[in-house]
Parts: sequence; C-alpha cells; structure tokens
Amino acid sequence: MISEDGVRDQETVVVIDDDYAMRLSCHQILAKMGFRVEEFEDGARGLEGVSRLKPSLVVVDLKMPGIGGLEVVARIHKLDPEIITVVITGFATIGTAVDAMKSGAYDFVPKPFSPDELRVIVNRGLERRRLRLDSKRHEQERELMRRRFVTFVSHQLRTPLVAVHQYLDVLKHLPEGPDAVEKRAEWMERCLVRTDEMQQLIKDWLTLAEVEGGALTRERVAVDAAPLLSGLVDRLSTMAAEAGVTMTCQVPEDGLPLLGDAAALSMLFENLLVNAIKYNRAEGRVAVTAEGRDGEAVVSVADTGIGIPEEYRDAVFDEFVRVKGEGAKKTTGTGLGLPICKRIAGELGGVIELESHVGVGTTFRVRLPLHRPVQTAATAGGDA
Amino acid sequence: MSSERKRIVLVDDDDDFAAAVTAFLELHGFEVHRAADGRSGVTLAKMVRPDLVLMDVIMGERTEGFFAVQNLRRTPGLEQVPVFVISSVYSAEPQFKVTPERGWLAHDEFFQKPVDLPALLKSITARLGGGEGALATNPGTIK
Repeated sequence: MISEDGVRDQETVVVIDDDYAMRLSCHQILAKMGFRVEEFEDGARGLEGVSRLKPSLVVVDLKMPGIGGLEVVARIHKLDPEIITVVITGFATIGTAVDAMKSGAYDFVPKPFSPDELRVIVNRGLERRRLRLDSKRHEQERELMRRRFVTFVSHQLRTPLVAVHQYLDVLKHLPEGPDAVEKRAEWMERCLVRTDEMQQLIKDWLTLAEVEGGALTRERVAVDAAPLLSGLVDRLSTMAAEAGVTMTCQVPEDGLPLLGDAAALSMLFENLLVNAIKYNRAEGRVAVTAEGRDGEAVVSVADTGIGIPEEYRDAVFDEFVRVKGEGAKKTTGTGLGLPICKRIAGELGGVIELESHVGVGTTFRVRLPLHRPVQTAATAGGDA
Repeated sequence: MSSERKRIVLVDDDDDFAAAVTAFLELHGFEVHRAADGRSGVTLAKMVRPDLVLMDVIMGERTEGFFAVQNLRRTPGLEQVPVFVISSVYSAEPQFKVTPERGWLAHDEFFQKPVDLPALLKSITARLGGGEGALATNPGTIK
C-alpha cells in the first residue's frame, strides 16, 4: 500500500525473467506504480531473492532455462501462500499457464501485453492479498477473543467459589470465643450470598447459551404485550417498593399483539424492569409504555437512575460488562442480563436500543414484530 | 503494641476474600490494611509503608495487579517490598518469566486462589518473622 510519504509502506515486487528487455519493461511499469522492484534473471536467484525480500507479488516468466517458471511458482507458493505470483507466458504456453495456476499462481499475462494489462492484474492480485491477510488477521483476533473469553468466564465463576472456600477455611482455623460466634454468623450469611451469586451466574450463562442456540425463542405465537407488561409490573411492585421506586405502566387498552415466544418475551421485559428498579435512585420512577408504531411494537422502559456513561452505551450489551461508578457499586449483577435481552430481541426479529443521560436516567426501547392475524371471515372484525 | 506488628497491605477487589484473609492474618498478629483496586493499593502502600504486599491480579476487567506491582517498584521506599501475588489465574506456576526487569524480585512469591492459608502464613513468617501477637498469647482477638 502506498502511504502519503510513499516510502514506509512501499511494497516489494520481484520480477524473475531471463529476458533483459522484458525485465526492464516490467521494472518500469511496476516502479511507476510505486513499488520497490527487484529483478532476477533466473529461477534459482529469483527464489533466493523471494525468500530474502518477502515480496507481496512476484512476476515470473514461465519459460526460463534452469529452474522453470512452473517450479518457481510452486516453490514460492510453498514458501508463503500469501505471496501473489503472476506468470508471463507466450500464447503457445497457455496450457502451461493453467498448470501454473494449479501450482498456486494467481493469474497470467500473455505476451505481448500492454502496461495497463500488467497494472490491472497486479492491482487485482494485491487487492486479493490484502483481503486474505485482513481476513486472516480477523480470524486470529476472533480466536484470541474466544480464548480470552473462556478464561474470563472461568474467572467470574471461580471468584465467588474462592470467597466461600476462604471463609470456610478461616472458620476452621478460628479459635472458639465470642468473636468466632459473631464471625461465623456473619460469614455464613456472606457464603449464602456468594453461592446465590454463583447460582445466578450459572443460570444466566445457561440462559444465554439457550437463547443463542434458539432453544428459548422457538415459539412464534401471538403474545399480548399489554397483560404481560402490567402483570410484570404487578409482580415486581414489592421489589420496587423496597427500593423506593414508583412504577407506571401505560399499555394500549385493546392490547398489543407481539409475534414471539411468551417465555422469552417475559424474560426480556423482566430483565429490563429489574434493571430499571435496581439502577434507580431512591424515590425514582420507572415508566413502562407500549404502543404499535409504524407496523411494529415499541416497548419502552424508562428509569430515573444513574444513567449510562457514553463510553459504555454499546458495551453494556456485551457479556460481563458492568458500568463502573459510584451508583453501580452497591448493586449486584452477573453482567449477563442485557446480553440476554439483546439476544432474545434479536432472535425474535427485533432490536433493543438505549437512550441515556448521566444522572437523569436511561430508556431502553425494544422494537418487535407485531402479530398480524390472517384475515378470514371469522377473525376479521374489530381489527384496526 | 501496634508499632511492633508487621504491616501487610492486601489488595483485592473481592471484599469477602479480603475479609477472610484479613481475619486470618490478624489472628496471627499481623496488621492488615486493605485496598480494592491497584491504584488505591499503591496509594495505601505509600502511606502505610508495609513490610509485605499481597496482590490480586485480575481486578475489574484487566490484570490491574501487574501494573500496581510495577508502580510499587517505581515508588521510593517501596522498590524492595516483597510482593506475594494471590490470584486465580494460575493453576500452578505463573506462565511468565519472573524477572527483575519486569518488576519482579527474587523474594516475590505466587499463590493460587483459594489460598492455602498455612502455606501463606509459612511464607510470610519466613520473610518477616512472626506477627507480634501470636495466636497463643492472643486467642480470639480478631476483627
């Protein structure tokens, strides 16, 4: 690739041809394109040059004395399959050119050729090389992330287990006395909290895996969002009251039929509602609204909580990301709730978006497909 | 009495783990000061001038403990303080070279979580001598 200064990123191209005139003209065309060009007059020197210079592309004449072009192509391909080789061939040897491509050559230019013909093939070859190198790099990055992820999950699972183990271990070493009685009571309580944490983590982890595999979102039936949401609000009212949070629920009176899986939808909205209560302030509010808009259902859950700083707004949907900050420290969570919501929404053909203002609150908006009943004589009626 | 006690700074982001280890070390006569992240751990160590630092590795989402150790090594007066790393990232030995140029000293040690308390105590005692108020003289005084 040619950068602004034209030097640092200069790519090397090697020309291997026994014909001086051909080397010279290739050199001129390629140098004009901005490449560093090295030429070699036979296969042996050429191969030595290729392994030393590690070029991006090699132009090889097929018909050379000594090591022939076909052999050169095969050896370059063996050395580094990402090096693009272009063979120059007379019309009489097009059959051999096809053999060369079987040995790993990228393409061929029949003699005589114009500068443009060579340029087009070289550019195309290098473009292909870039794409291949890019996708190879992406694949490596993905693999690295997968491996890191496994390490991270096991660390998350191990943390509460370690805490419980350490408490029990110290309790074993504790001499009897009033302090020991007090510690034992306090630590037993903590052990229960931490084992609960671990249970929840494993449960959420499994849920996430099930959602991902499609197992939790298999059904596609009409699910009325109105009673679903008001039912959830009722069920969570005790939790909200304990947190000092008021909940309101505004849903269409004649219902809002979603197309999806009832259990999965319930899980999705419950997660959002619980979050809205948990990450709220004392005397805060949670407003749940649902409506049909532009042919889809829009369910909003708005809180008056701590808000999500801008740098976290995409990341909160990633596994184990929990917003750091004073407000979030007090709450417990597995860091898997929102990833579960995002996956469920996605599996059901919807999306989840968020709008947040730090210190003011966050609104999660889920857009889902509406259930459209087949219009028959029996069902066509009060449908709007 | 407290002036005689060996001081330990414990840096770990898990409050429960830290509470348990603290109780155990206090039981054996050490004075324990706690920090929950690398940065406040270094600050605390600057103030407390500990005889030993116990350091977790993964705090938050990254290997914060390693950076904290390097910062300790650059802090006047703390360059030589022994650091014992306690982490769940090791199954046995750490997979990196423990070399001075990376901030590790020969007297630094590595423990895996959950930590083997008698082994930890043995190492600490070998490094610092015992805590002042040993178990026998001070039974049950843990906080």
